[in-house]
Amino acid sequence: MHCLVVEDDPVIAAHVLDGLRGAGRSADHAATGRAALDCLARGRYDAVVLDRMLPDLGGLAVLAAMRGAGEARPPVLVLSALGSLADRIEGLEAGGDDYLAKPFAMEELLARLNAITRRRAAPGDATGLAVGRLTLDPSRHAASFDGKQALLNRKLFSLLAHMMRHADRVVTRDMLLEHVWGYAFAPTTNIVESNVSRLRTRLVELGVDPIETQRGHGYVLRSGACA
Amino acid sequence: MKARAFPLGLGRLAVQFGALFALAMLAMGLVVFLVAQQRIARRIDDALEYHSSKYLAPDHGQPASSAVIAARIAAWQAQKALSERTYILLGRDGRVLAGRLRIPLPPPGFSQVRYVSRAHVVHRGRALATRLPDGSLFVVVQHSEASESLEAILPGVVLAIFASALLAGLAATMLFARQTALRLAETQAAADAIARGDLSRRIATERLDGMFAAQAASLNRMLDRMEDMVNAQRQFSSALAHDLRTPLTRLRGLLSSAQPTGAAVNDGLIERAERECASVIAIFDALLRLAELETGRHPTAVAPLDLGTLVADVAETMEPVLADHGGALRLGPVDAAVVRADAGLVNQLLVNLLENVATHTPPGTTATLRVERAREGAVVVLADDGPGLASEDRSRVMRPFERGPESAGRRGSGLGLSIAQAIVRFHGGTLALADNAPGLEVRMTFPA
Repeated sequence: MHCLVVEDDPVIAAHVLDGLRGAGRSADHAATGRAALDCLARGRYDAVVLDRMLPDLGGLAVLAAMRGAGEARPPVLVLSALGSLADRIEGLEAGGDDYLAKPFAMEELLARLNAITRRRAAPGDATGLAVGRLTLDPSRHAASFDGKQALLNRKLFSLLAHMMRHADRVVTRDMLLEHVWGYAFAPTTNIVESNVSRLRTRLVELGVDPIETQRGHGYVLRSGACA
Repeated sequence: MKARAFPLGLGRLAVQFGALFALAMLAMGLVVFLVAQQRIARRIDDALEYHSSKYLAPDHGQPASSAVIAARIAAWQAQKALSERTYILLGRDGRVLAGRLRIPLPPPGFSQVRYVSRAHVVHRGRALATRLPDGSLFVVVQHSEASESLEAILPGVVLAIFASALLAGLAATMLFARQTALRLAETQAAADAIARGDLSRRIATERLDGMFAAQAASLNRMLDRMEDMVNAQRQFSSALAHDLRTPLTRLRGLLSSAQPTGAAVNDGLIERAERECASVIAIFDALLRLAELETGRHPTAVAPLDLGTLVADVAETMEPVLADHGGALRLGPVDAAVVRADAGLVNQLLVNLLENVATHTPPGTTATLRVERAREGAVVVLADDGPGLASEDRSRVMRPFERGPESAGRRGSGLGLSIAQAIVRFHGGTLALADNAPGLEVRMTFPA
């Protein structure tokens, strides 16, 4: 995966570039909006990490210019030091594929970048969702494994469905809060941990334990464990 | 908030003005009546003087004697047509010498008299009595018909004047009130919009004149100034957010790049430093959010919202959290109640409060969520059987950065309850803390 990092702060840019390279991705750096548009005109990128506040063109102006390029444009993760809900909505409405407020953990950025680059190919809803022998029945909010069935409440069902759709990829707590719960605020308790642990208990009762905790930041549902 | 229709309810004012106007008209009517009466009386007196002098006119150079006058009266009676006047001559002993009218002896000069007509009707009249040199009294009496009829129509006229003046007064005041209200409506609409957070709104002045235009213009100047100040503050917090987040992002990057090379002893330290970074930013976010809510700048998606469904949803989410903290969460009776609200904010409100229960109550505490319908709207009640709060602490903990007595050393911004209250107020509702004996009860009322 080839990424473009558009960030004017050299320390943060270096940190992001290191992180991407450390995760096995190649990355170019542009320090200004114009430089970013030049890079996008010359090369092909799989994803763009775009800071909202740039010295020349703002990040939103770069997004608008990119939108002119139509479907061919790479997905964009907007980075911003503006953390309010209004700024987030503005960033997404301007055409960003996801929005990440500073300061962020590198793992969070990688997970979100993964999600947006694959999102376009990802299947839509949970109808008859299955990973290996683990299947979901949306009409009954039930999970089945090997003929055994567990009824889940709506939250646990959505949580499992989301993780199954993103099987074998890291989903962070913040991503789950956003996508499963739709919460735009930071809870002070471990809402995600408590619910994931409850879900794991229910799945273990079925005889399957596919959810792995990634140190510090997120979870992976291993398709191998459901095979 | 529902805007009231035109305050034609200048109400009492309209009635007061109407009554005042009617009284003024009534006084004016009385003055006109008195003047008219005076004029009529004057004319009667003039006529009496004129006719009296005709009868008293000298006869062949000699002043008219009683006999001459009696003859003149007899002549008048002989040829008399209908007349409103009559003449009598009374001797010095009160005996009638000429004329048919029977009246008590009037004093000399003008006087009011009553007499009985041939049809046995009592009439009032005006008399002019003149003493003749021989001591007899010549009296001219005029039936004051005009004056009488004027007095007869008086009550009707007065009533009509009063009623029409009252109506006219009320109508004039209503019209004035309506015109005033129309002009004030612009101001009111703008003020309401501003109260809802639309600081860019101004009062349209094109259709206003006089003092209304002047007042609107000065309000608009005030709003310009206010908007400038709010914008400056907004830019300040944006800049502050940016300037604070950027170094924190760098710090976080530096910490994590230090991690691989750092010795194992540093490991926990770095993680703790990262956590502190996160909590600095969390407090900052909470403050910004509180400011957004309180100044009405929160981007909002207010729509009909079923509180029952939302409460059940939050209960599902938070039950495992409370269980992990050694407590329990039960869902009590949930009435279906649809209110106009922002689902995201109400979620945050309930999650915040349940997080408070999870972190500030000892293990074994059971919390119950329920939804009730009340006269003033829908009430979400969160009750727990924990240690509760003393009544003086209940009002204190609602203020920013205040905490309950047991929370020393616990994490958290101290803004949770302030944000909860700001969210409820944002919806035009109220948040109240009460004693659940034992425990704390939080009642959130949303207007229907």
